[in-house]
Amino acid sequence: MSAPLLQSLEQGFAGLPPAAVQAAQLGEVRRASLAAALGDGLPGARAERWRHTSLRALERRTFSPLAAADESLVAGLARQIADTAPAGADEMPAWLQTLRQLSAQRVPRLVFVNGTFAPALSQLHGLPAEVRFEPLSQALADPARDPRELEFLARRFNAADETFARLNAAFALDGLLLRVPAGVQCAQPVALVMLGAAAEGDRALHLRHLVEVGEGASLDLREYQFAATAQANLCNSLVHVHLRRGARLEHLRVQAEDADAVLLARTDAVLAGEADYGRTDLELGAVLSRHELNVSLQGSGARLRSNGVLLADGRRHLDTRLGVDHAARDTACELTWRGLGAGRGRAVFHGGILIRAGADGTSAQLSNKNLLLSPHAEIDTQPVLEIHADEVKASHGATVGQLDPAALFYLRSRGVPEAQARRQLTEAFCRIVLDDLADTALREQIDALLAQRLAGVGA
Amino acid sequence: MATERNDIEEALNRRYEAGFVTDIETEYLPPGLSEDVIRQLSAKKHEPQWMTDWRLEAYRHWLTMPVPEWAKLKIGPIDFQSISYYAAPKARPKSLDEVDPKLLETYDKLGVPLHERAKLAGVAVDAVFDSVSVGTTFRKELAAAGVIFCSMSEAIQEHPELVRKYLGSVVPVADNYFAALNCAVFSDGSFVFIPKGVRCPMELSTYFRINAMNTGQFERTLIVAEEGSYVSYLEGCTAPQRDENQLHAAVVELVALDDAQIKYSTVQNWYPGDENGIGGIYNFVTKRGDCRGARSKISWTQVETGSAITWKYPSCVLRGDDSSGEFYSVALTHHAQQADTGTKMIHLGRNTKSKIISKGISAGRGQNTYRGLVKVEKGAEGARNYTQCDSLLIGKKCGAHTFPYIEVKHPSAIVEHEATTSKISDDQLFYCRSRGLGEEDAVSMIVDGFCKQVFKELPMEFAVEAKKLLEVSLEGAVG
Repeated sequence: MSAPLLQSLEQGFAGLPPAAVQAAQLGEVRRASLAAALGDGLPGARAERWRHTSLRALERRTFSPLAAADESLVAGLARQIADTAPAGADEMPAWLQTLRQLSAQRVPRLVFVNGTFAPALSQLHGLPAEVRFEPLSQALADPARDPRELEFLARRFNAADETFARLNAAFALDGLLLRVPAGVQCAQPVALVMLGAAAEGDRALHLRHLVEVGEGASLDLREYQFAATAQANLCNSLVHVHLRRGARLEHLRVQAEDADAVLLARTDAVLAGEADYGRTDLELGAVLSRHELNVSLQGSGARLRSNGVLLADGRRHLDTRLGVDHAARDTACELTWRGLGAGRGRAVFHGGILIRAGADGTSAQLSNKNLLLSPHAEIDTQPVLEIHADEVKASHGATVGQLDPAALFYLRSRGVPEAQARRQLTEAFCRIVLDDLADTALREQIDALLAQRLAGVGA
Repeated sequence: MATERNDIEEALNRRYEAGFVTDIETEYLPPGLSEDVIRQLSAKKHEPQWMTDWRLEAYRHWLTMPVPEWAKLKIGPIDFQSISYYAAPKARPKSLDEVDPKLLETYDKLGVPLHERAKLAGVAVDAVFDSVSVGTTFRKELAAAGVIFCSMSEAIQEHPELVRKYLGSVVPVADNYFAALNCAVFSDGSFVFIPKGVRCPMELSTYFRINAMNTGQFERTLIVAEEGSYVSYLEGCTAPQRDENQLHAAVVELVALDDAQIKYSTVQNWYPGDENGIGGIYNFVTKRGDCRGARSKISWTQVETGSAITWKYPSCVLRGDDSSGEFYSVALTHHAQQADTGTKMIHLGRNTKSKIISKGISAGRGQNTYRGLVKVEKGAEGARNYTQCDSLLIGKKCGAHTFPYIEVKHPSAIVEHEATTSKISDDQLFYCRSRGLGEEDAVSMIVDGFCKQVFKELPMEFAVEAKKLLEVSLEGAVG
């Protein structure tokens, strides 16, 4: 007897357009992936990788897939974005603010509304001509397309607890396809926006993205996950990042979903030699958000920098799971994560660093600090080191605590009211993760967004 | 040439000095495990019915449990039916004077003072040989202070009310796979009871020795420290050198009432197997202390150099307000040894404190894992934890792993965890070598410094032994 969640998805699969399921000879993979997900079921309480995130509440809910875009909804959103009537910037919702900025700055972007590409909100031009930048649905619908281009969709997920990756492999019909050829430097950033909106009942949305940066090429990617209206959808997104030799990718991800939305995200990145991957993650929304970030440093000299903040207030459950795999010599990672537990929230962090035999000269560093601000909140953190080589420098540190009373006292003695002093200190605590954002304008935007969210926490 | 060979052979033998076998008449239960075997074992020990029932309950539960697989260990399948669950020297002494001289010789060789001259050493010893305790020294002196120190079998006969009250109260019957097995088949162990307000006048010590072939050792230790009492307890273990793996699944329970303090030190030197990973002891131990009373304190110190596989997490349940727990550990894995060890600190009471210092050393193809849990529950206001895990790698093929779990549910808690991994640097070695130290001496000096924080927690004689053990265990690790 499988869970209602899986039952509802199984039924939904039967209702998908057969042509889309069959496209690019992926029908077999999709069916097999679904069968595997249904066969193994959802990870239970004993699954180690889900130890701190229970799916018991989720498995009782039902979701139906959404195969087509709601034209009138998209048109409505487009009008809101185009409407430049001066509104108080502070009151403007984050999604609207961001989309207006992207549109004003003519940032090439793909916008997906409830899991489907929305051309009216997107901008496909503005990148160097050699760059391939299109929605996955378009590539799938094109019978002339070389099937090797879509090979990444055929990947099988073998572990029993990869339920959501399997479901993604079965369902995802849309997403971002972005290929930057060797040597191309993209001066303009590229944005990927996933917007959720209410759509007659709770929907399951699946998106699959591929970002490939060729040898010596560079790209600045901004990934946003927002809610346009209140909704309780389930969004399952899987991003593949491939960085070729010497490639550089700066990747910002802002997750500010609706307080009832459920998010299951996974990013699988593979780095060749001398590739440089910088990430900044803000986990600010959703009722349940789980993000698995797997980065494999396959070539010597590959580097990863990952900063992030988990803001678990309200009744939010945020779970970020890093898995960094050092498989080659002289690779490096630097992970700086901050967590905040307030209200009835729970922040779960896992920072796994694996250094394989032969990966000498590796340097790996993880810092995870957490603030626990409420008696009903919880922080679970697990920094893990697995080391099979000896010429390495590896360390991690994790703390859970409160605001420093001495710092609070200092601010109060300078006449800062207690609430403001707390907010300032909390902001400073989180802001460190933004330090590596090179684009000052962007950093200010994100900083404002963070501050706006923290003001609501009432620390 | 001949002398050189002898030297080499000597050095080789020195690696595991405790590897000899004592030829002594031994009584066995036939290999195999069933309810009948447990009844037989219980009958042999003239145990009361409640004890037999307790064992059977544990056995029935054990049958339903899966073998745990979560540890980062490669464990060959264990055939529980091929193990003999009881082995004891035939001649049962009435007092220490009647103990088989061969046995005394064994303990002498191991450097454990069992006889009267032990007075000089000033340590009371309970010696456990295979499945039974063969003698406990200084009983009279201890009794004068009100301290009970005897074998578990004797305790079941002589102090059933205490045993019934505390046995299984810290590690319940169904706690985990190996603990359940231990409950069913434990043969002996030590029992310590320190009454209210007594500071135990001497160090207590148990020495465990596995001698017989094809046996498992399943001992059970219970230490109860009443209000305001103090005890320091030492545990040592060795086994002969054999090609088969032998199973050691012990349970240690500590109970500390208000203001009581228990200091528990272990130097574990079970046979580690040879360079190729043949033989050695499977050491699957459940150790847990319950700080039941306010302001109580339990401190675990362990030096783990032996065993083919170590699976051991001495833990503290900090139930009493203002109670504290400590864990100091040095774990060394060389050749094909594997260790998955660490601690759990469960903060339940207010203002509870815990400290974890773990030092892992991996050499050869050794795999060394620290696995720890620091949990602060909802009521644990003002809880404080500090954890430091350092790993030292010697060689290209070894591994060092750290799996800490931190779970905090109280906003006033402060929990800190730090871990580092490094190797002995060429600079350090070069410096020592330039001062005229041999390479091995240099390594052992550096390792000694690395472990200092833990060694200083050990009673002096043990610290010396531990240092020597590390040196011997690391022989051949460099170059």
